Amino acid sequence: MKPSPFSMEKLFRISSCLTIVGLVIEIISLWWIHPLAFALFAFVGASLIGLGILIYLASLVFATPSTGENR
Amino acid sequence: MSQPIGLLITLIAVTIAVAALFFVHPSIIRGATGKILAFIGLCVLPALCVAAGMSTHMARSEQTKFCISCHSMENYGKSLYVDDPKYLPAAHFQNHRVPPGTACYACHADYTIYGPLKDKLQGVKRIYIQYVGRPPDKIEMSGGYSNLQCLHCHAGARGFEGNPVHVALMDSLKTNQMSCLTSGCHDTIHNASQVDQLKMWSPGR
Repeated sequence: MKPSPFSMEKLFRISSCLTIVGLVIEIISLWWIHPLAFALFAFVGASLIGLGILIYLASLVFATPSTGENR
Repeated sequence: MSQPIGLLITLIAVTIAVAALFFVHPSIIRGATGKILAFIGLCVLPALCVAAGMSTHMARSEQTKFCISCHSMENYGKSLYVDDPKYLPAAHFQNHRVPPGTACYACHADYTIYGPLKDKLQGVKRIYIQYVGRPPDKIEMSGGYSNLQCLHCHAGARGFEGNPVHVALMDSLKTNQMSCLTSGCHDTIHNASQVDQLKMWSPGR
């Protein structure tokens, strides 16, 4: 099997970064009551968080474990 | 609101803290505890935040101030204060026949983001038209106004069922063959285009 070019740690970093940005956007969207706040949350915040979760789950399946990782 | 906003903010803050931990020290995943923490911090908690956030936003979208925050809805919001009992939305709003805080939602609960997926997409289209396109001069509801929106409160109420006109037309009203609003009975609705020329009611006076 061809090893994945991405290490698990790198993918975790990307996943956590997307999740943090998405959550910050969610907090901003909760700041005011307006249709744009809803759109910001639904289309930007939730999408980034969802992408973060997908990358985390993908890292469990496809990423190569880092050297020295307990298995 | 479906849950206290403070609780949601706390949940988001905790999730950010855990996610930040993995951003700064991704090597934590090497241990079994780290793997469990990663599953909670990068999957379970973020999913909970999205679900709670969606629930909060949906609850907020039922508020009157949410609906009238769009420029094209301003006059519809003003029409709730018209000082004339013939104006149906104003009479309902001013006499608290509908909750004032969710007055729009009380009578328009079957479309835009309140309804099923098709209606939610319609709601998104309206947001697009408001901010990217050009809102129409005259706003019309696609498919017309359903009597069910009136009947979900009035059906079974003594004042409604005891009215001989309603009794005679009941089948037509319940099957939506005759409209409560456009059949000449209760036809003074928002009249948004002329609202600036009407006498207004001020609460507390």
